[in-house]
Amino acid sequence: MMRWSYFSIGCVVIVAAMVATSVRADDQDVIDYRVHIMKTLDEQAAAISQILEHKAPADNFTTHVQILAITAATAKKAFEPKVLGGEAKPEVWSHWADFAKRLDDLTAATADLANTAKAGGVAAAAPKVQTALACKSCHELYVEKKK
Amino acid sequence: MKRKIKIISPIALAAIFLPAVVSADDQDIVEYREHIMKTLDEQSAAVGMILSTVVPGDNMAAHLQAIALTAQTALKSFEPKVLGGEARPEVWNNWADFSKRMNDFAKNTALVAAQAKGKRSDDPELGEAVVDALSCKSCHDAYRKEKK
Repeated sequence: MMRWSYFSIGCVVIVAAMVATSVRADDQDVIDYRVHIMKTLDEQAAAISQILEHKAPADNFTTHVQILAITAATAKKAFEPKVLGGEAKPEVWSHWADFAKRLDDLTAATADLANTAKAGGVAAAAPKVQTALACKSCHELYVEKKK
Repeated sequence: MKRKIKIISPIALAAIFLPAVVSADDQDIVEYREHIMKTLDEQSAAVGMILSTVVPGDNMAAHLQAIALTAQTALKSFEPKVLGGEARPEVWNNWADFSKRMNDFAKNTALVAAQAKGKRSDDPELGEAVVDALSCKSCHDAYRKEKK
C-alpha cells in the first residue's frame, strides 16, 4: 500500500512538473514573439533616425517607414495573450483599453508616415517622424527596461 | 623651439582626432547594416514561431512582407566597404557573388510574401516556400562571422 502511495505521489509530481514545464514554454513563446516584434520596431526606428541624422544614405528611407508601419500593425495581436514577463509591465493588461488605443494610434500614425514618404520622400515625411514615433510616453507607462 | 611645438601640436591633434572621426563614420555604417540584418533575424524568428505553431498565424503575411521589404534594403547597406561587425571581408572580396545572393534573397522573399497574401499560415505549400526563401545558412556560412 505504502509503495503504491509513493508511486501515486511520484506520478502526480511528474505530471505536475510536465504540465508546469509546458505552460512555461508556451508563455515563453508568447513573450519571445512579442519581443521579436518590438525589437523590429526598435531596429527600424534606429535606421530611420540614422538617415535623418545623415549618418546613413537616404535611399531606403521610404522602405524603412513602410516596414515600421507593417510591423506596428502586428504588435497588438502579440500582446493579446495576458502573459506577464519580458519588458512588459503588468499595466499592459490592467489598462488594456489605453494600451490597445496607443498601439492603434501608432499603427495609424506610421501608416500615414509611410504614405507621406511614398508620395514625397524624406523631405515630406521627416517633419512627421517625431510625432509618429513618440514611443517614450508609452514606454514610460508600459515598458520595464531590463538592466 | 616654442614655435616648433606650436606647429606640431595641430598635426598631433589632427592625428589623434582624425581616426576617431573616421571610425565614427565607419561605426555608423556598421550599425546601419546591423539594424537591417537584425530586423531580418527578428522577423524570420517570428515566422519560424508561426510555422512551428507555437504562436497564432494571423500576422504571417505581414511578417513576410516586412522581410521582403527589409531584404530590399540590405544590399545598399553593404555597399560601403567598411569591415566590422559580423561581416567577413569576403563580402567585399566576392562582391559579385554576395550581391547576387542578396538580390536573389530579395526576389525570393518578395515572391513568398506575394504568395502568402490571402493564404492560411498553415498552408503546407506556403510553409515549404517560406523555408526555401529564408534559407539564410549558406550565405551566412560564407559571409558572416557570428559574434560569440
